[in-house]
Amino acid sequence: MLSDKVLDNLPHEIRRRLEPYVEAVQLMTATNNPKVLRSMAMPGVRGLILQRGKQGVPTTMPSHHRVYFDWTYPNDQPEMRNLYQRAKEGQWNGDDLPWHIDVDPENPEKPILPPKFMDYESLRNAGIRLTDLEERRLNASVASWMLSQFLHGEQGALFAAAQVTEAVQFFDGKLYGSTQVVDEGRHVEVFHRYLDTKMNKLYQINDNLFVIIDALIQDSRWDVKFLGMQIMVEGLALGAFGTMYQMTNEPMLKALLKMVIQDEARHVHYGVIALRDHIRNELSDAERHEREDWAFEVALLMRNRFLSFEVYEEWFEHKLTRKEWAKFVTESPGFALFRQVMFKRLVPNLREIGLMSDRIKPHYHRAGLMEYYDGASANQLSGDQLIADLDAA
Amino acid sequence: MEEHRRRAGRLDAAAALAARALPKAFTPWIEQARLDARMLIDRTSGRAPSPLVSEASAPQPLAELDPLGLLPRGLAERLRAAGRDLSMLGSRLVLGKTPPPLIERPRPAAGDVVSLPRKTPNMVRPLRVVNVVRETDDAVSIYLTEEDGSPLEFQPGQFLSIDVEVDGQRLRRAYSLASPSLPDVPRHITVKRIQDGRASNLLNDTIAEGAELKVLGPSGSFTVEPRAVNQRHLVMIAGGSGITPIMSILETVLRVERDSRVTLIYGNRGWDDVIFRDRLSALCEEFGDRLTVDHVLEDPPEWWTGERGLLTVEILESRLRALQIEDDGLQRYFICGPTPMMEAAHVVLAGRGIAASRIAEERFTSPEARSGARGSGKTERVVVSRAGREHGVQVAAGQTILEAGLAAGLDMPFSCAMGGCGACRVRLEDGQVEMEEPNCLSQAEREQGYVLACVGRPLGAVRVEVEES
Repeated sequence: MLSDKVLDNLPHEIRRRLEPYVEAVQLMTATNNPKVLRSMAMPGVRGLILQRGKQGVPTTMPSHHRVYFDWTYPNDQPEMRNLYQRAKEGQWNGDDLPWHIDVDPENPEKPILPPKFMDYESLRNAGIRLTDLEERRLNASVASWMLSQFLHGEQGALFAAAQVTEAVQFFDGKLYGSTQVVDEGRHVEVFHRYLDTKMNKLYQINDNLFVIIDALIQDSRWDVKFLGMQIMVEGLALGAFGTMYQMTNEPMLKALLKMVIQDEARHVHYGVIALRDHIRNELSDAERHEREDWAFEVALLMRNRFLSFEVYEEWFEHKLTRKEWAKFVTESPGFALFRQVMFKRLVPNLREIGLMSDRIKPHYHRAGLMEYYDGASANQLSGDQLIADLDAA
Repeated sequence: MEEHRRRAGRLDAAAALAARALPKAFTPWIEQARLDARMLIDRTSGRAPSPLVSEASAPQPLAELDPLGLLPRGLAERLRAAGRDLSMLGSRLVLGKTPPPLIERPRPAAGDVVSLPRKTPNMVRPLRVVNVVRETDDAVSIYLTEEDGSPLEFQPGQFLSIDVEVDGQRLRRAYSLASPSLPDVPRHITVKRIQDGRASNLLNDTIAEGAELKVLGPSGSFTVEPRAVNQRHLVMIAGGSGITPIMSILETVLRVERDSRVTLIYGNRGWDDVIFRDRLSALCEEFGDRLTVDHVLEDPPEWWTGERGLLTVEILESRLRALQIEDDGLQRYFICGPTPMMEAAHVVLAGRGIAASRIAEERFTSPEARSGARGSGKTERVVVSRAGREHGVQVAAGQTILEAGLAAGLDMPFSCAMGGCGACRVRLEDGQVEMEEPNCLSQAEREQGYVLACVGRPLGAVRVEVEES
């Protein structure tokens, strides 16, 4: 790409300053759908250019959705009613997790992420040699960073779940949604408590994640909120939590993730059943195409969020270019597995709700995400099954 | 009220704007004019200054005031946001600075975060009963494994805390593991029936193979570290069911330390009350002169030729003489049995000039015999500090500090949870704690300010420290 060539020829310091903006423009122009560009442009500017999530002050976002009341209290969605029952029975108390377990993020006996999570060999080839202790610290930093982004994502999910509960027109969906709000509150509680009392480190929100949250919180269309939160953010989170659950040897975190995953499985299931008929039957072709392109744009943002530039800025800002770091992260075995599992959970859900038509498939092909097309979607998987699958893997 | 605040806010903003626009020399004048004008505004709104100095609040310094306060609130907010946006762009593009990747924020002093009083978590774990053997009419041995069938790991002489439920009430009792601590030897406790003892009677009458026992531990420091190279003489004095930990130590030492020997003085009421009678005689046969067992019976059968009576000072002295036990300055002594026997043993050993550090003892007190510490009877706040971090915990009436700490998710050490092993020892830094007595805390530990969290209840606000081991 031309902009990459221009960047390659700039002095390091100038390049370092300009690179994030070039990336932002490339990302925002990845879509050729003007409607998607219009809806994502301002969140993109706020998140990627102005870095509103990192300004050190609380962020305020206006909401534009309509609150939908129904005074007849219909039993309109038996599948959602069923989920509501399961959600009530599945409630748990974050205080009951084994908080007494001492966690040392740098303990090589019980690492949060496996020691070979990153490819330190390629880092050495780039001229950066880390001692064993530094490698353990970098691993612990990546773990804190990941959990911090889970926490920020859960804050977004808490408010989005509340908005979706207001905006959805299915009454059984509203009842179910009320349990999801509680679930998300609990997730914020336990992730924050873990980071605060066990890791003692909290990272700023990633700019890409900020863009997604900003876009879906401010969008007035209920189905776009659902698509963004229930399918994209929750779907990818489900994959990410599952991978971390499998990878970690730290018993406290494992117990925490086990409980969170069972909630998340319900959340994605809800998104699939709420959107399936709506997208297939009630939207025009143009509207469906717009949702499809929007989802693809969000998938790219999610992929980029995992480039963990906050860790780069903490550790390597003056030693590597962002492009070199992105390559290192992309090729690191741990991150590669995260990406793989996350999209393995996401792509079948997009297929199930009808947002994976032949027109968009080539885009996912190019992004290397089509290999997951045939997996099971969330409405075919329960939380218990997910945990059993993860334990068996 | 609202109008007054708005007027005062506008005045402050105007002063701030003027202070920024004019040279510094004008600042004192502007400040004075602001304060004068504020006073006028206050007075005209009927708000006379407070006559009490203590109630007067200091005005916000001029330098901290925001001139954007002159503008309507919405517009001012937007301008502030734009200012932050510009500064974000400027620092990355012009100064080459990225925002800090980590969030630094003030955290509440941890002691101020108080958990709600909660139910005590489950501290016990289940063990499986794999066999039950009657030792005497009044004593039963219960063989146990971990729930998954694996053997229980323990040091010879340690005990288990066992929870039993009698008439809906949970009772916790300590029973020593009486088997040697050797691989492939089944582990068992031996429970002697105590008159009116609710737990011991229940276990003697109803326990059966296949049952589950809820336990804590093993715990306790009445133990030895057997090593094959040791050559030592252990002298043991046991009374009644006090034989259980002694039996474990005795057999483990004899089997592991081929050059060590053991002398046991063992008091019982009658010949049929002697727990492990056959096992001891088999061991005597097996180990020959490495094991001497000297039975003393209070109510012996007619054919009895051995010593008669209780293990009193006189009888113990006479038995030690008869057994020709001379202290070599290194011997260790193990005593376990009823309180009068223990006291007599201490008198005799002290009379022989044996240092307290060479005497190990295990005291079992029936919880019914303890002074029941109930604490203050209401919910109290306890701050628990560990490794420099503080946690506030609410201890409900009747709860121990350990129970409340564990309920709040704190990592507090414990083992027997009945005042018998000292694993839950914490240092009392402030306040008063009432403990169930007697317990295993030594006088020296009490003087150093230690309390046991497992049997300690607060009498008011309390601060304790968990020391790192």
